[in-house]
Amino acid sequence: MRRVATSLLTILGIVVVVFFIVRVLPGDAAAVRAGPYANQELIDQIADKYGLNDPLHVQFVDYVSGVAQGDLGISIRTNQSVTRELLDRLPASLELAVYSVVLATVVGVSLGVLSAHRQNTWVDRLSRIFAVVGSAMALFWLGLLLTFFFAFKWGWFPGPVDRLAVGSEDPGTFTGFYTIDGILSGRPDITMEAFRYLALPVITLAFVLAAPILKMVRSAMIEALDSDFVRTAKAVGVPRTQILFVDGFRNALIPVTTTIGIVFGFMLGGNILVEFLFSWPGIGRYAFDAITTRDLEALQGFVVFVGVMYVFLNMVIDIAYAIIDPRIRLGSGLTK
Amino acid sequence: MTQTPEPSPKKPADSQFVIQRVYVPEEQSLPGRWLSFMRSNPLFTVGLILLTMFVGLAAIGPFFVGDPLRTNITEMFSPPSAEHWFGTDEYGRDVFSRAVNAARLDLSIGLIIALVAMVIGSTVGVVSGYFGGRVDEIIMRLTDILLAFPGFVLALIIVAALDESLLNVVIAVAAAYVPYFIRLTRAQALIEREQEYADAARLAGNTPLRVAFRHVMPNSLRPALVSATLVTGWAVLTVAGLAFLSVGIQPPQAEWGVMVGEGAGDIITGEWWTSLFPGGMIVLAVMAFHFIGDDLTEATA
Amino acid sequence: MSLFRATGLNVEVTGSPYPILREVEFSVDPGEILALVGESGSGKTMAALAVMGLLPFGVDMTAGEVQLEGKNLARPHGVVEREASQISMIFQQPVGALNPTMRVGSQVARAIQINQQVDRSSALQTAIEMIGHVGIAGPERVARSYPHQLSGGMCQRIMIAMAISCKPRLLIADEPTTALDVTVQAQIFELIKALVEEIGCGVIFITHDLGAVVEMADRVAVMYGGQVMEELPVVELLNHPTHPYTRYLLESVVQEVDHRIRDVGVDFALTGCRFGHRCLLAHDSCNEYPTLREISPGHRLSCFAEITEAP
Repeated sequence: MRRVATSLLTILGIVVVVFFIVRVLPGDAAAVRAGPYANQELIDQIADKYGLNDPLHVQFVDYVSGVAQGDLGISIRTNQSVTRELLDRLPASLELAVYSVVLATVVGVSLGVLSAHRQNTWVDRLSRIFAVVGSAMALFWLGLLLTFFFAFKWGWFPGPVDRLAVGSEDPGTFTGFYTIDGILSGRPDITMEAFRYLALPVITLAFVLAAPILKMVRSAMIEALDSDFVRTAKAVGVPRTQILFVDGFRNALIPVTTTIGIVFGFMLGGNILVEFLFSWPGIGRYAFDAITTRDLEALQGFVVFVGVMYVFLNMVIDIAYAIIDPRIRLGSGLTK
Repeated sequence: MTQTPEPSPKKPADSQFVIQRVYVPEEQSLPGRWLSFMRSNPLFTVGLILLTMFVGLAAIGPFFVGDPLRTNITEMFSPPSAEHWFGTDEYGRDVFSRAVNAARLDLSIGLIIALVAMVIGSTVGVVSGYFGGRVDEIIMRLTDILLAFPGFVLALIIVAALDESLLNVVIAVAAAYVPYFIRLTRAQALIEREQEYADAARLAGNTPLRVAFRHVMPNSLRPALVSATLVTGWAVLTVAGLAFLSVGIQPPQAEWGVMVGEGAGDIITGEWWTSLFPGGMIVLAVMAFHFIGDDLTEATA
Repeated sequence: MSLFRATGLNVEVTGSPYPILREVEFSVDPGEILALVGESGSGKTMAALAVMGLLPFGVDMTAGEVQLEGKNLARPHGVVEREASQISMIFQQPVGALNPTMRVGSQVARAIQINQQVDRSSALQTAIEMIGHVGIAGPERVARSYPHQLSGGMCQRIMIAMAISCKPRLLIADEPTTALDVTVQAQIFELIKALVEEIGCGVIFITHDLGAVVEMADRVAVMYGGQVMEELPVVELLNHPTHPYTRYLLESVVQEVDHRIRDVGVDFALTGCRFGHRCLLAHDSCNEYPTLREISPGHRLSCFAEITEAP
């Protein structure tokens, strides 16, 4: 219960900060929104429409009450509800995010466990190099590189156009995930196609995301394997594979979960670059369009939206902690 | 029960009894020590070499290459050759000279951002950690809120709200990394304020502010300084990422991210050198910072 | 005929030319408790780990025989093939030595399952019985608890239950009560003594507490710097301690209020007898390594000095 309250407070804080940045920082809020080519009349119109001439606290209250009801404002560029537009694009981003994180976790965890188990062998060395390269990698460059080789030169995957080939039918909307909807609406070929278009952006993202996961899994595993209770298990005769997973991995899960959470958080930001690069119609792309057109309303809505998702994500992680670690779940009450 | 036995008339020869438990390695010559250092810290060495190369490139490179802004339509899109090492872009500009000039911009801006973030973040962090109480709580709440945004997004929105100037880019990206330094120095300050020298300073009658800044702060800076290299790398990456989206630094400025952005579309038509070379330099530079920073963090952990 | 005998144990750390255990020998008879005594860093834990085959990475047993009931468990390259039903061990920090994410009952059951080829549910049943047997009230409830919910004393009993359930011939207890209250300490000692009588196993009891030695042990092996200095019955220890180091220990302990050996920071001589550089009786022959020799039945000594015995 207390966690919910702190989360709400954080969301409020986010709104305040964003509001400050977007309404207060720019010298003349209306002029910035109107764009560099506007005349005074247009600026005044905009100021009126968005209430930018009202005293700040009135603006703030207006905005906050709007947000509480889910209204994130009206986009300057399209005149549509920002909330509506974001929600429309969310499935695309989520599909990308989920597959990327899953792939990154699978790769990161397996390499991390392997690395910890066989330290200082070539597997370990290679994994560590991979980890370092991955953390320093520029996402947009990697995406370009992969596109160049796999799409352009070798044609394994399609170029960055969209989620599906131009002219393909939209499968019915069940989940918004084309990969799932394709099967659900009896069109497995759409599912295949969706996967082909997902491949490059997912690989690009997963490459960068796997690095911190790998590092954390490896170090948490090494620490767990070095611990006293693993020594007890060995003394008792527990077979090596069981030690690795039950004693080692289960105790490494906490820091690993934290990292996966951080990774998911990064996804919300990294998405802008990848979505731009691969022309992916998600919320990141929306944000980019908002930037180039100086659509501060939409941008503001986007940031609040992302902030809220992040807070929600943290709550989920906290719950996950409680499930994994009995020390957190049960508190430290001693049984006598 | 027991009696101390009489000492024997023969004394032990001192040279045979060495009272030390630690194995002392033989002294090595200076170049020998360098070689073994390099061999045991390969990544660090590579990072150092790369970094020196880049710094050299940034410092004196621009004097040796052609004008980064000079266009020559007749030569547009020529692939890498002896004359144009990295080829030319769609305006006929020499990609290599642009990349070298960009090195100067990117590296210096990255460094400035890291320093600004470190100075501001550390000061706030020390205040928060040393004084504790209400001040600490408020600062931590604010930091949490700032950290609720992915750094890139935060920088993005700040630059978008202000107008496009280099200063604003520095402000925006630094703001994204300030919370990191706050956390780091605060944690160290919490430890340092319990140390004996802090007690001594307090007892000597210094005002709390003086103790905090003159005594505790310098000692709380170690983790921050060590991270500074890593943060410089991240800063370069963020600035380039923003520039790629034409946010902050824009064409025709010679900046690595800008170049990648300009050249991104060319990939489809096969002109890979306009974007992959500058992008490659970003990756190498950031990796250099990472190699050094990672090793430093591990060494001082 | 001894139950257990370790001979010629040499343990080295990779990269260091000076072995941390040198020609270590000790033996245990059936139903006997041998105390392994020394300051911190004297090598007593290492000796136990070597015998168990649990030496950490980078530390290797380069020579030695580990005989249990006549059979040598040591293999080439310092490998020791040991099962929990042969030698079992309990460790120092009981709460940390148990897996925090597993219920204690399951941990004991796992030990039983592995060593006795029974199925899961009967292993759990036996585990609960064992937990009750080591003196814990309400064993079903405790079995469902996690280590952090139990006190140090209870966790140590759980560890003992785990070790005993494998029905070992030899039990090694590495400072089992150092992290516990004095009152709990006495209870654990009683428990171990009762179990020894019941099962008839031998015990190697590692400690730096001479009071515990007197209370628990039948025989004592005194170690310093990775060398066994003297091996003798407890009665002899009190009446006729012979080795200079042993006498130094007893004297320094008598002066203390409690009878624990203080950490002086162990350093050892690199050649010859490891106590040589501090020994008041040292002379030239002490540059050679003194092997253990029997000076009276059951009493072995590693020293070149000719000691005049006090009556």
